[in-house]
Amino acid sequence: MTVAPQASRARRRVLGGYSRLVVSRFTYGLTPGLAKQVRSRGGATDWFEWQLQPEKIRDRGVADLAGWWPGLAFSGADAWNRHVSEVQPGWTLMFDYQRWLLLRRIKTRRQVHEVMTEFWEHHLNVPANGEPFFVHRKDYGDTIRSHALGRFEDLLQAAITHPAMLMYLDQAVSTAKHPNENLAREMLELHTVGRKNHTEDDVKNTARILTGWRVDQFKTWEPFYDQAAHATGPVRVLGFSDPNASPDGRAVTRRLLTYLAHHPATAERIAHRLAVKFVRDDPPAGLVDRLARVYLDNDTAIRPVLRALVDSPEFRGSKGSKVRTPSEDVVATYRALGVKVKRPTGDKSAAHAILWQTGSLGAFPQAWPRPDGLPLTNQAWSSPARMMASMQVHWAMGGGWWPKEDARYRRPAAWVPRYPMRFDRLVDHLSRTILHQPATPVLLQACCEATEIGKRERITRDHALIRWGMPRLLATILDSPTFYTR
Amino acid sequence: MTDSCCPEYAAMTRRGLFTGVALAGTSTLFGSTLLTTAASAAGVARSVLVVVSLRGAADGLSLVVPHADPVYYSARPRIAVPSSALLAKDGFFGLHPDLRPLLPLWQAGRMAAVHATGLPVANRSHFAAMEEVEDADPGSSARVGWLNRLLGTDGDRSPLQGFAVGGGVAPTSLLGPEPFLAADDVDDLRIAGDDEWDPQGRRVRSLQTMWDGAPAELGGAMRSVFRAIRDLQPVRQTPAGPANGASYGSSDLGRALQTAARVIKGNVGVEVLTVDHGDWDMHTNVGTLEWGRMQNLTKQLGSALAGFFTDLGSHGDNVTVVVLSEFGRRVKENANVGLDHGHGNVMFVLGAGVRGGQYYGTWPGLSGQLDSDLVVTTDYRAVLSEVVAARFDVSTASVFPGYTQAESLGLMRSS
Repeated sequence: MTVAPQASRARRRVLGGYSRLVVSRFTYGLTPGLAKQVRSRGGATDWFEWQLQPEKIRDRGVADLAGWWPGLAFSGADAWNRHVSEVQPGWTLMFDYQRWLLLRRIKTRRQVHEVMTEFWEHHLNVPANGEPFFVHRKDYGDTIRSHALGRFEDLLQAAITHPAMLMYLDQAVSTAKHPNENLAREMLELHTVGRKNHTEDDVKNTARILTGWRVDQFKTWEPFYDQAAHATGPVRVLGFSDPNASPDGRAVTRRLLTYLAHHPATAERIAHRLAVKFVRDDPPAGLVDRLARVYLDNDTAIRPVLRALVDSPEFRGSKGSKVRTPSEDVVATYRALGVKVKRPTGDKSAAHAILWQTGSLGAFPQAWPRPDGLPLTNQAWSSPARMMASMQVHWAMGGGWWPKEDARYRRPAAWVPRYPMRFDRLVDHLSRTILHQPATPVLLQACCEATEIGKRERITRDHALIRWGMPRLLATILDSPTFYTR
Repeated sequence: MTDSCCPEYAAMTRRGLFTGVALAGTSTLFGSTLLTTAASAAGVARSVLVVVSLRGAADGLSLVVPHADPVYYSARPRIAVPSSALLAKDGFFGLHPDLRPLLPLWQAGRMAAVHATGLPVANRSHFAAMEEVEDADPGSSARVGWLNRLLGTDGDRSPLQGFAVGGGVAPTSLLGPEPFLAADDVDDLRIAGDDEWDPQGRRVRSLQTMWDGAPAELGGAMRSVFRAIRDLQPVRQTPAGPANGASYGSSDLGRALQTAARVIKGNVGVEVLTVDHGDWDMHTNVGTLEWGRMQNLTKQLGSALAGFFTDLGSHGDNVTVVVLSEFGRRVKENANVGLDHGHGNVMFVLGAGVRGGQYYGTWPGLSGQLDSDLVVTTDYRAVLSEVVAARFDVSTASVFPGYTQAESLGLMRSS
């Protein structure tokens, strides 16, 4: 069996191997429109550099989204008052936050920025579904987004002292007499140097340094610094020491966070996590070492590390090595099918239902229940239940059956660029559109089997495929192994 | 992948798959012959363990009342369950009267309660405590649940060994390298598009074409799907309705346990099932025997579990149920006729192997201060490991790493 012979006319262009890899790994789904953008920017390397300066990229479609969920404008005391007076319970506010994230991922032109925002939201995880920190959770996400391509040191400072984090990991109720160790432990173990690089004494001293950062819970919900709650006296954390004499411990906190951000073990941990997310589950030590070195040499700046990563031979050789997470799968399906999602008007609206679709695959977005963030490895997202759920989503959306309200799907006839068209050429065209690669012989065979259409059969406007068979064809392409990876 | 699983996958030939597809599509055409083939292809359960998790931290002091501890009544002037109303009373404890449907099981020695159990150190966060209880491997960063480790103690990698009733996000206890299924309903376990409009099995054939050679994790997961779809056929053929005149009551828990019973009756090698029931988080309106949230949920629990064993009939001879919750509630009632987050709790064990009709555990004595907990005297893993040891004949050290039980409760008969 062979693919359709080379034909010059109207064949949809796809990005070449390396460009395809960069763009599919660092976006929520490669589309024909995105490929055009990459070409107009002069190729993947220049496009990536352009994406690293998100403030220079117009992004009007995303600005409109905020108005879809008016509750997101409220935070702190307002969000709490709306919660207790049942105007909008906190969990439904967080549903809207999760939906807003999913829609951003579908629509934003700042794809690399959004991907990195999600990456850091997991690294510095505060689950979206918890009480009472939900009152500051959207602001927490916005804070991370504002630092997502900046310096890790600034990101760490902002995240650790943010009221959502202070409440989630019990810092907000810590006292000088009984320093709560929760945030201190996770900060060392997860956010910075990592397990086995610190002792119990390091945890205790970190907990003392962090005392004083409070939140006026159940009242104003504002963060404040409480000097009476700060445990003074000499402290030592790894190689960091400080007399910690002032009752205002904010400066010593800043110094500790700066120290930790620049620690080689932190550099290695960040480098490793980036490599697992963007290269492979078991990244070679050489790559991790090089990225850690770039991180330290550039004052914890994130952009140079990303440039080094995409330029590495390890990255170049990693095609197909990463499985899409549940939310990546759902978002990519919307993008691949070109579904136009409109302002929601009811429970069944696509902008609302997309959250249940994502949950059905096994993980609501930003809802991971532990401080360690969503697992990044393939195994976590390769369960039989997930596969069945993904196929369900692909099937329902390939047919345009669910979700249907406030969403516009392409009509079956519109998937065919010209009539009549030979079936093998149509499959190739759809493969290029949805998978961004030419159809393989295996895919063509599967499409023939799924539709019972011969390779050389002519597809006309009144062919059975157009009348009722297109859902089967689209679902087959969405269910190819290629679509499950990024 | 271990050696022992490879022949199974190798044997899953194209022809075998098509047999499964044909069954799924037009089973009446082929009748029982092919059904028998499918059934024999599936595994045989060593034993069946059903874990019912009462989400939100149920109040164990209402479910199993320490009527002889005077602090219980002084700390709960409005919500204490009167001693005179209790069932299966001994000199110290008694069951909440809304567990009445379970009384025949208790009296037949098929149900026991263990009091003052829980995590060794109090954890009052619902999410964190659930994680800790279900991970049951303190100090490890690997997110592998105890039930997944239990499934890993044999060589079988069948995805049919574990089943999370309820679908969605599976409980932590089941997560890990061993595959399992998750669904609200058996009929949800299917490949979308593999339906009555596709009697020739074109959908599955095309998927098979694409995934046959797919490597690594995804390919393995898809092969598990194909296998599960095939091997679940006897379950689909099992009537969805209850047998033996069983009534589960009308609750989510009843519906979930009815699905569990159907899976078990299908006899396809399922060993572990999880069922979640909530919301037991009663900071307000615990109430009395006449009103409130406690009596309502307790009725659901009693009816559903009783219906489950009635429905199973003789299939239940190999089934053990454990009922637990992430932590218990305070001893003293709060200002809202409710109870705040506490520590120790009760666990129930029902069915196969249980030395029932009695209460286990060491009573610590209650204290009625504002923040008093029921003190934990029995690590919850003591109960679980006795069940695992008695029913599965495996080393409990591999299921509960780092845990050694000091003294046996004597809760289970060895099988």
